[in-house]
Amino acid sequence: MLSLVPVLLAAATIVWIFVFLLPGDPARLMAGGQSVDPEILNSIRHEWGLDRPAPLQYLCYLEKLIRFDLGTSYVQRRPVVSIVAGSFPPTFILAFTALLLAAGAGLVLGSLAALQRGRLLDSFVLILALVGTSMPVFWLGMILMLLFASRLGWLPVLGYGMEGAFIPFTSVRLPEWDHLVLPALTLSLVSLGAIARITRASLIEAGTSEFLQTARAKGASRARVFVRHTLQNALIPVVTVIGMDFAGLLGGAVATEYVFAWPGLGKAIVRAIGLRDLPVVEGGVLFLTAVFVLVSLAVDLAYLYLDPRIQYAPSG
Amino acid sequence: MSRVGTSRCSRPGGARGLLVLTLLAAAGLAGACGRSGPPAPSSEQVYRFRLHEDPPTLDPALANDEFSESVVLNVNRGLVVLDPKTLEIQPAVAESWTVSPDGLVYTFRLRDGVLFHNGRPVTARDVEYSFERLLRKATGSPRRFLLAPIAGAKEFTAGTSASIAGLAAPDDRTIVLRLAKPFAPFLSELTMANASILPREIYDDSRKAYLRAPVGCGPFRFSRWEQANFIELLAFDRYYGGRPALDRVIIRMIENKTSALQEYIAGGLDSLDEPPDDNDTAMMAKVGPEVHRFPFMGTGYIGFNLALPPFKGNVALRKAFNYAVDKQYLWGVLFPGSSTPANGIIPPGIPGHDPDLPGYPHDEAKARNLLAQAGYPAGNGLPPISCWVNTGEDNRRIAEQVQSDLKKIGVDITIREVDWGAYIAAVSGSPEKPGQAPMFRSGWSLDYPDADAILRPLLHSSNWGPSGNFGRYKNAEVDRLIDQALVVTDPKERADLYRRAERIAVMDDPPWIFLNYYQARTLYKPYVKGVVLSPLGKFRLPLDRLRIERGST
Repeated sequence: MLSLVPVLLAAATIVWIFVFLLPGDPARLMAGGQSVDPEILNSIRHEWGLDRPAPLQYLCYLEKLIRFDLGTSYVQRRPVVSIVAGSFPPTFILAFTALLLAAGAGLVLGSLAALQRGRLLDSFVLILALVGTSMPVFWLGMILMLLFASRLGWLPVLGYGMEGAFIPFTSVRLPEWDHLVLPALTLSLVSLGAIARITRASLIEAGTSEFLQTARAKGASRARVFVRHTLQNALIPVVTVIGMDFAGLLGGAVATEYVFAWPGLGKAIVRAIGLRDLPVVEGGVLFLTAVFVLVSLAVDLAYLYLDPRIQYAPSG
Repeated sequence: MSRVGTSRCSRPGGARGLLVLTLLAAAGLAGACGRSGPPAPSSEQVYRFRLHEDPPTLDPALANDEFSESVVLNVNRGLVVLDPKTLEIQPAVAESWTVSPDGLVYTFRLRDGVLFHNGRPVTARDVEYSFERLLRKATGSPRRFLLAPIAGAKEFTAGTSASIAGLAAPDDRTIVLRLAKPFAPFLSELTMANASILPREIYDDSRKAYLRAPVGCGPFRFSRWEQANFIELLAFDRYYGGRPALDRVIIRMIENKTSALQEYIAGGLDSLDEPPDDNDTAMMAKVGPEVHRFPFMGTGYIGFNLALPPFKGNVALRKAFNYAVDKQYLWGVLFPGSSTPANGIIPPGIPGHDPDLPGYPHDEAKARNLLAQAGYPAGNGLPPISCWVNTGEDNRRIAEQVQSDLKKIGVDITIREVDWGAYIAAVSGSPEKPGQAPMFRSGWSLDYPDADAILRPLLHSSNWGPSGNFGRYKNAEVDRLIDQALVVTDPKERADLYRRAERIAVMDDPPWIFLNYYQARTLYKPYVKGVVLSPLGKFRLPLDRLRIERGST
């Protein structure tokens, strides 16, 4: 966990530099409109510390971070923490559901392809995986929307819904389930191909291992050999891909959020970039970085379960 | 300086939080997604419209964009309000007012029985508080200049005076405003959302809860706001103007234009601000009859940077560019129905608009002659010229058409497309230093129907830089006429002064390529009644006039 600190510090610095180098004056955009009184512009710059030298601005930013303060949005004038807290759950729910769909379908299709290696089903899965991976999310989302919502009327066109239940003891509202289907399906197809392909490749590789011959020689059934020995040993690279995909989906759901008007974090960050709402950009990216690191950690911990031979020695 | 929030706010993240959220999400999606609210009664009048994104703010003092105004103007009321149809100034919280003959003293008599949404009556003290709040530096309002004409306002903002000398509330129902000097559009400025009357007990809150739960005295009260999802307003039963017909208003945030159109067609929206293009025959066959077109108070143009060569001091070159652009093709063929060709600056419907202004009809031969007179025959010798546009398909297409028209007379320009933040920095410059863009595509919509609201910010030499005069136009006679019109109270005389100023700026010393007077296009379902197609634009919609009549078409 301690390794999280230098990673986040490096991420914070890189994000701050990039954001600082963005052309444009945040004060000018905070003032809004095309006509701004220069005196008002100066007072905005002063109020938000934008008239200070860059190194001082950076130090102030770091000093706040140490206190777990992501700052205040220039535009909305409320804490970045509350903006991130409001927009992360929808992104998380979307990415998580997409991952469930992708992992479930990917594992099944990958397994079937491996079992039917060289046959028609294998080719079908490989083509499906290639198409799924190559398809632009924006285009795919629009096609699914036009087909299932506009033409067939089976599902809502877009949105998160207004009446979903709240998670107990939180202010996080779940989406209405029918609103979740199309965005989650769209996003899942990005990962499905990769998961199916890696599952197939891993299973084929594991299928040639000597320990399988031993298991068969000991009289294990075909099903047990496949599930207990082949699949479990093949899962390590699959889990790695799933973990990385999940982190990628969290940050990469922005196109899906845009198409389906999903109130997620990716969209909030993109909007903040346009408005030069620098604290929201910095806070949002930093938060996603932390999530990425934590997901990687969870993947590493999953290895311990999947392969008892793996052990993490204490550092030093 | 006060800031919202403290580090005590719950911080999302952390492995345990992630795990809990994961499990809850999975469990919730499986079983807990029942509708939490009761189904809406079928007779309930609900109106749903789209904004592209969350309004940046619902604090009237901070509102400076059309999305914020679309909500603020329906939750709040000021002393006076603009009639969206006739554009006349109407009583609102003030039931009447008088102006002294010298144009310096405005005395408002407040209406009896105006209530805030929390049930408290509005008094003159609230007007006093609201105006002081707008002017106070700590509020950070980008539009405190609206009240700057009041005597002592500048000293109050600067902190050299504890009160505003020209603001008095002699009793609970009277407000007296004394101006430092006559300012003809003052009443118009009081119609702006920023001059809304606010309850002190809500807005004197160090935690700034009002940012997410505003309280006003308008026809709709705020109900809830889900970030990037929707805002819900409910009819205010005790609104002084009578309860609105609509029970509920849902404002939905949908950024993508294509998705929003699909949602409108599917019935999830009752209106839409971006109808399909007139050239999109398939879509227009579906929704064409629901498209409403109406002029609104705005002018589009391509500005010249007059502080830099080749446009500096070269009137012939600017005229040549004007004659070269085929505006009939732009607005008749490329963007049919979205605008009308502009001959000048002041859009139709605004006092001072000159229908007889010749402008610059497309004339390639004249453009070539003027180009030669300017010292650049067939474009030879011109330095590299770039035209800056902010990101947007329409902006790019307009610039490309202008580029193509100029190419026909031998002028090569390049197009530089950047996002709004980079664009405004490159174009506006500072009061001391010009922007870097030689040409820039821009547009201006008026806040209120007064020619001063376009001529002063865009052409007066006191507004160089971020104040609006990006091209650094300076013409002593234009300055003089604009200043003179500000202190004249006779409307006809004022309109004449603006006409004269515009004619000089357009015909003698053009600062721009005059492109278009904007038209608004909006989709409304046939059952939405009471729609006002207002020159104020499609987002300043008076929701209290709307009603839903499902049985009708």
